[in-house]
Amino acid sequence: MMLSLFLAAAVESHAAEPGLAEKFGLEPKYIIIQAVSFLIVLAVLYKFGIKPTIAAMDERAVKIGAGLKYAEEMQAKLAAAQQESAALVKKSQVEATRIIDDARKSAKDFTDKQTQEAAGRANDILTKAQQAIELEHKKMLADARSEIARLVVTTTERVLAKKLTDADRAAYNDAASRELTSV
Amino acid sequence: MASGKKQIQLLARQFYKLSVVDGVLSTDRVAGVLEYIEKHRPANTLAVLKAYQRLVAAEFARGQAVVEHAGFLNASALDAIAAALSKKYSRPVSWVAKPNPTLLAGLRVRVGDDTFESSVAGQLGALAAAV
Repeated sequence: MMLSLFLAAAVESHAAEPGLAEKFGLEPKYIIIQAVSFLIVLAVLYKFGIKPTIAAMDERAVKIGAGLKYAEEMQAKLAAAQQESAALVKKSQVEATRIIDDARKSAKDFTDKQTQEAAGRANDILTKAQQAIELEHKKMLADARSEIARLVVTTTERVLAKKLTDADRAAYNDAASRELTSV
Repeated sequence: MASGKKQIQLLARQFYKLSVVDGVLSTDRVAGVLEYIEKHRPANTLAVLKAYQRLVAAEFARGQAVVEHAGFLNASALDAIAAALSKKYSRPVSWVAKPNPTLLAGLRVRVGDDTFESSVAGQLGALAAAV
């Protein structure tokens, strides 16, 4: 439309006076050819340059949108994962604390038990040692008593064997015979 | 083997019973038993004679009091002891004196398996055992 008006104006001006086109040496056929060439170049550019570019930009925009959405989802998932990991860490800390407390309690119980058993064993050993010492003491006293008695008897026998006279023996024999007779 | 020993003991006991008259060992009967054994020679003669000798010795020991003494001991005391023992065992008991200086003073009388003692050594021994 614009082009036809432009051409009409050019024709009128050319018909009236040497117009601007004539002044500048414009030829309508060249202008038409250039316009057609321009349109062809425009169509080719649109077909093979602008349209693929727009499609690529749309595709890129879709991809960017999907990427942003994915990033948001990932951020949400990351936040959820952080919360979950924080909960897990807290739970693990509680569990670890409980395990440590249990271990401490078990260790304390074990130590107490071992201490009590050691004390019991020590008492047993002490008691047995005291009994052994007491028995040894009694045995020693008994041995000493027996030895002293044996020495006393032996000494007495030797003394009597030397000191007893025949008269003493005869008198003792008479007394013994009277004792045996009364059996 | 066991039955053989049993038969020997049985035969020796039979000979021993034949040797006792009124509860007293008779020397005549013992001589007769020995003569019989010598003539007839029963099985296991030596073993039978040993068993018979043990029985006769035990009976002889039961009828004899061995009186061990330290120092002088008169015969009347020995007779009194034998009489007391005869009365105790209800059979005649003779005495045999045997000096034993280790008694120091006093008497020790053995009749068979029984022992009666009244001596200084015995009292000292009892004292040592009691301490």
